[in-house]
This record gives sequence, structure tokens and C-alpha cells, in this order.
Amino acid sequence: MSFLEVFQYTRQDSVVHRLDPRSKLVMAIVLAMISLLFMNIVPLLILLSVLLPLIGLARSLQRWAKSMSGLSVLIVFIVIFNTLLSTVANPFSYSIALSLRLIALMSSFSLFFLTVHPDELSQALIQMGVKFEFAFAMSMAMRYVPTLGQEAYAIMDAQKARGVELDRGNILKRIRNIVPIIVPLIIVSIRRALSIAESMESRGFGACENRTYLEQLKFTRHDWALVLVSVVSFCFLVYVRFYLALPPWMSWGLPF
Amino acid sequence: MALIEFNDFSFKYVGSDSLALKKVNLSVEAGEYVVVSGPSGCGKTTLCRAINGLVPQFHRGYIAGNVFVDSKSTRENSVADMAGITGLVFQNPSNQLVTLNVEKEIAFGPENLGVDPAEIRKRVEHLIHLLGLEHLREKHPHEMSGGEQQRVAMAATLALRPKILVADEPTSNLDPQSAEMILELIAEQNREGMTVVLVEHRLDVVAKDASRLILMNEGSVVADGPPEDVLLMDICQDIGIGIPKAVEVFKRLRSKDLHLPEVPMTGEDLVRIFREVVEHDSA
Amino acid sequence: MIQLDDVHYAYDGLYPALRGVSLEIDEGESIAIMGSNGAGKTTLLKHLNGLLRPQKGHVFLDGEDTSKYSVAQLSRQIGLVWQNPDHQLFLDSVEKEIVFGLKNLGYDEEEVSDRCDRTLERLGLTHLSHRSPFSLSGGERKRVALASVLAIEPRILALDEPTIGQDARQKERLAKMLDQMNEEGRTVIVVTHDIEFVIEHFPRTLAMSEGIIVADGKTEAVLSNPTIVERCSLAVPQMTIVAQGLHQLHPEVSPRLTQVNEIESELIRLAGGI
Repeated sequence: MSFLEVFQYTRQDSVVHRLDPRSKLVMAIVLAMISLLFMNIVPLLILLSVLLPLIGLARSLQRWAKSMSGLSVLIVFIVIFNTLLSTVANPFSYSIALSLRLIALMSSFSLFFLTVHPDELSQALIQMGVKFEFAFAMSMAMRYVPTLGQEAYAIMDAQKARGVELDRGNILKRIRNIVPIIVPLIIVSIRRALSIAESMESRGFGACENRTYLEQLKFTRHDWALVLVSVVSFCFLVYVRFYLALPPWMSWGLPF
Repeated sequence: MALIEFNDFSFKYVGSDSLALKKVNLSVEAGEYVVVSGPSGCGKTTLCRAINGLVPQFHRGYIAGNVFVDSKSTRENSVADMAGITGLVFQNPSNQLVTLNVEKEIAFGPENLGVDPAEIRKRVEHLIHLLGLEHLREKHPHEMSGGEQQRVAMAATLALRPKILVADEPTSNLDPQSAEMILELIAEQNREGMTVVLVEHRLDVVAKDASRLILMNEGSVVADGPPEDVLLMDICQDIGIGIPKAVEVFKRLRSKDLHLPEVPMTGEDLVRIFREVVEHDSA
Repeated sequence: MIQLDDVHYAYDGLYPALRGVSLEIDEGESIAIMGSNGAGKTTLLKHLNGLLRPQKGHVFLDGEDTSKYSVAQLSRQIGLVWQNPDHQLFLDSVEKEIVFGLKNLGYDEEEVSDRCDRTLERLGLTHLSHRSPFSLSGGERKRVALASVLAIEPRILALDEPTIGQDARQKERLAKMLDQMNEEGRTVIVVTHDIEFVIEHFPRTLAMSEGIIVADGKTEAVLSNPTIVERCSLAVPQMTIVAQGLHQLHPEVSPRLTQVNEIESELIRLAGGI
């Protein structure tokens, strides 16, 4: 699952990291939609040639490369299956384009998730009008996922020491073996949730209507510029795609 | 009226068939350092919850009598209303850290109460400095040790500027040095005027700071007084309280007719007192 | 009987937890492992029954490399009791909980019920045998978890932080039980922060810091050594503080005393000597 790392925030200081999450969200959505506009190899390659420098600006090329190599198995799979099963004219060319589109889509969103701290994300949601309780629930999920994972491992260890063999036996036995893991995990989580609730309650969670925030996100000139560029290029490309014919070199494809 | 007042307070949790607190009468004055101890299930945790209103506002159940904290009845005020008066630190540090970094964590309480952001920023910086948390600023709670987590939890509680700090076994998951650091922080707060209520099993490490020791058993207060008096009572053996080793030595010497003029709470105390006796005798 | 030979382990291959640990534990020993959080104590325990395998080095049990055996096989010899009982309890009665492990490890019906009854009685849990573990108090749940391991009657019993959240009386009861296990010839290994508990019940102490063993020897020698105490985030025992204070006044008093009765007799001697 290492390809998911590309959606994980990395603590870094870069031009991209410093942008407001809302402007980055607009950019990511625009980039993703552009990748859905085209189904030809050349435009998708051009898109990638825009995406890669952006990821480079976010100082995350290495992580991106690692994730993509994790994805390579899936891509080979897509290419083989589509080439064999697809009914389009040039199945191989089509599969390559499909894979490029997948990479472009992932890269667009990774640009967002790599550079937006979960706290910023929830703050952005709050400032876009989402209720604090909901936005906070999301950031709390981020907070406790690693804890839960650790707990799951501890439980597995405890049960293995009592003779539960998690990776032995037929499917039925394996499913049965999940019970000694899941039940304690649920119970431990409920106990934990209660104690977290106590702690939050004691610190006035939900106490007053006018909750304040230590930090507010600010839209800077850079952010406006990014939104403007994103929206304008999107409109332009939609126009190109639907009202102008693509020049032949753009719709070039492999002959098979 | 004292800062904390329990008047014939009884409480039974929903679904339980015995009283967690039985007609507790207690008053704590501003500035006291109270240590509460007793065997498991004696009602210490319920007592803590009653001081900040978690009992009866969050944990519901049968109630009789009243608790007043800073003249406010916990029956009539929500936990959030009490949050600025009583700060509660819990046993498990990781369950008290609900955000993803130290600044947010410290700001969480004041934000909830609608404190002005500039004021919150001031408190955050002050507490980060006071508790030595600079190096943790950018860390995910998951990456911190238990002792570090508990220090952050302390800071987050103090950010509400409470009059009373209640801590329910805050060091039981920590190694001795981290524990000592947390206890020293609590003692420091008390010296600055904070009223402290600390629940702790290990009296050998906290008795020296306390101005008052309360023992509980089966929901009732069974002893209440200065630690040097309470620790000599037979009730300690009866309900299974582990007394500090220095007190143990004092008692043994006393039974052999060697009387020390003071009850020592720590090893250092014992050496000092013994030395005074010997020097006095030889003079 | 247990032998670790230069054991290295790093989580995810990145975060070193053990950095070359070698040690020997004999049959019937009673030993405490101390050190700060993250020193590698729990990681060490997990190597004993194969939950973790050394990335470098070897773990031997009775002279045989444990890499040949599965966790389940090793668990019959080495019982691990965890800090949090809720990590293993999942059935709706105390009895079933104890039977579960025994059945997994392949004991026959009769043996299972025999051992279950024996263990329940030993830990004073017989009256709770049909209760659901989830309705019990924290201390009782801890005892149920302990029972589920004891029922296997392992030759080596290893406990991770057994005293956390236990009051003085529960600790005493636990200590008595461990002493008894030890007298039966079983090896007892405890990971703990509880200094007084170690002083009273464990003759040998292993102090760890950052994945290596800093000291291994007689408990009073280890815990009265200020350098080790500092390095492993421990604290000097109260009686040792007294001994060190007395030592400065009267050099003939050993600064390494740890027990109440030792201090008592020194004080009586000094007071009488005037």
C-alpha cells in the first residue's frame, strides 16, 4: 500500500506548503478535471509535465516517485488487461493513456494532500462554513488512526501469545480468527472514546457559540493568483477541447 | 465558603448497584495541596469528577447532597462552565491530546471558551516556555513519549487558567524521572498559589509536597489531616495504603523506643532529623 | 536457560529498539527489567516468545535457537502477561477466556478443565468464573488476563508493567503470587517502573537505555548507582538516599542499602553508639 503515501502530509516548508488550502483545493480539482478532459497520450504527458515541477516545488518528488513505483504493479495490470480485453481501435495506446490519466489524477490530489496539514484542512473547512464539530471530528480521526493501528498490533501480539494463529488455516478459520482481534479493538476503542470525551468536555468543548481560533487562514495575493490561473486555464482548455479540433500531433497515438 | 465544598454528597453511577461516593463532607481552602489516596475502587476518581462537574453532568446517576466549587453548584452548572475554575488532568496522557500539535492542543480549551486569539497566543507561548515544550512544537502526539504527552496535557489544562488543578493519577504510566518532573510541576503550581487535588497511590513520592492527605475507602473519607498525622494512623494498614519507607522506619524506631521529633516524609528528611537528634544528644 | 546473543531489532528496519542485547537467565531466576519509555524493554520481552524475531543475533531457549519454533510453540514455555488486559479479553465469561488459550495450544478436554479450575482457585477468581470480564473492575480484569496465561503453566512467566494502576494491597497479592511461582521453580521476568516493588521482590535487575543493557546485576547494586539511575530514567530508592546520607556522616554505613530493616538497624546502632 506504499502508493498511498503520496496522499500523506509531509512536514516541509515550501512555496506550495505555504499556500492557503482553499486555493490549493481549487488547483487540485482543476488539474484533476483537466486530466479527465483528455484521453490522448500527448495532452496527458503535457499535463504531467506541469504537475511534476509543481510536486518538485513542494519538495516531494522523491515521495512521489516512491509511490508511483508502488503503483507500477497496478499499472502493468491495467495495461495488460485493457490491451487484451478492450474493444477500442488501438487498445495498447488506449491503455497507456488510461494509465497516464490515473497517474495525473493521483498526482493532482497528492499535490493537495501532501502539502495540507490535516489541521489546516479542518480550519479551511470551518472557514468555508462547515460546522466546527464536523471539521474537528475529521482532524481527530487523523489524530487517532495511528494510535488505533498500534493498538491493533498490540492486540494481535497478545492473541498470538495465546495460540491464535492468524495466518494459518482455511478461509473460514481465518475469518473466525479475526474475532479475538476485533472484539478487544472495539472495546478498547469505546473505553478510549469515553475517556477522550471526558477530557474534551473538561476543556469546554462545545461550550460557547462564539468559539475563537488561534489562527485563521488568510488568502494572500499568491492564492488569488493561483485560483485565477487555475480557473482561466480550465476555461481555456474546455474551450479547446470542445470547440476547437485538437491538432493532429496532439491526438497522436500508438498504432496498436 | 471554602473553594471546594462537599455537603453530604452521594453518587451512584447508572447501571451500578453500589454508591461510588457515600455522604462525603469535605472542604478545601484556596491554596491547599491535597493528596487523595485509597485502594482501587474507593471513589477517588469519582471525587475528581465531582469537582469539575463531570459527575453529575457527564456521568449521570443518582445524586444526593451538593458540591460547590468556587460557590457554584455542580448540579446547576455545566462542565464547560466549570472548565475555567477546575482543570482536570487524567491518568492516560494520550487520551487527553486531541489535536495534532502542541500549540493547537494548548489553544483548544481557551478557543472553546471564546478567548480572544491574541490572548490565546500569549498563553500558548507562556506555557510552552514554562513547561519546556519548545522541542515538541511540531511533533504529532503519537511521536511523543508518555512523559512528554502528559506535560502537554498539563499545559493544555493550565491554559484555561483554572483556580483548582485536579490530577487523577497523572504519573502512573510514566517512568520515575518523567513522573518526578510532572509532580514537580504540580508542586510548583501550588507554590504559585494554585489549589491542588492530586490522586496518587505512591505516597512516597507525593507526601512531601502535600499539606493535607485524605484517605478514602468504599466511597467514604476515612482519614483527613496533615500527612504526618494520617500516615501514622492504623487505618493505613486496615485499608492497605502503602506508606513511605521513611515513615515506616520512623514507626519501627518508635516501637523500639527511639523517638524522632518529626515524621520524615522522604529519605533526606530522615537523615536530617536523625542527624539533629544525634547532634542534640551529643551536645 | 534463556540466552540472548547480540540481538538487534529495529521497527520497520528504521527505528532501532534493540542494539546488541546479550544476556543469560537461569532456570528459576527472578529478574526485573527497568528503564525509561522506549528503552526497548517490551521489545526484549517480545523476542522471548518469538513475536519478534531478531534481525541480527540469536535467542536460545535451553540451548536451542528459537527461530525453529512458532509463537504458539514457544508460548507453551513462555507466558507473556501484557500491560493492558483489555488487549486480550474478548469472550463473555472468565472461564471461557481461560479455556480459550489452553484449547488453542492443543490440550485435551480433561486437562483443559483441570487447569482452568486450578488457576481460577489460585487467583481467587472462582466466584467470578461465569461473569463477563467486561463487567469486572480494572484490577480484576488484570487478574483474569494473568490467569489466562498462568493456566498454560509456562516455565517462564514474563509480565509487562504488572503494577500499573494497582493499589498497595493488590501489589502485595501479586508479589506473593509471583514469589510462589518462583518457588515452584518457574522463572519470573518483570518489566516495571516500580522501584520499591523491584527492591522488595527481585534479586536481579537489568537496566536498559536506548536499546542496550546498561547494567545487569544485584538489584541493590544497580539501583544505588547514580550513573545508572540517571541514564535509565530511574529514581534512587528512598532507603538508599538515607544510606547515602548516613554514609557521609558515618563512612562505615554502606551507601548501597535499599531495605527498611537495614536502615532501621543502622539507625539503632548509630543512636545507641552515642
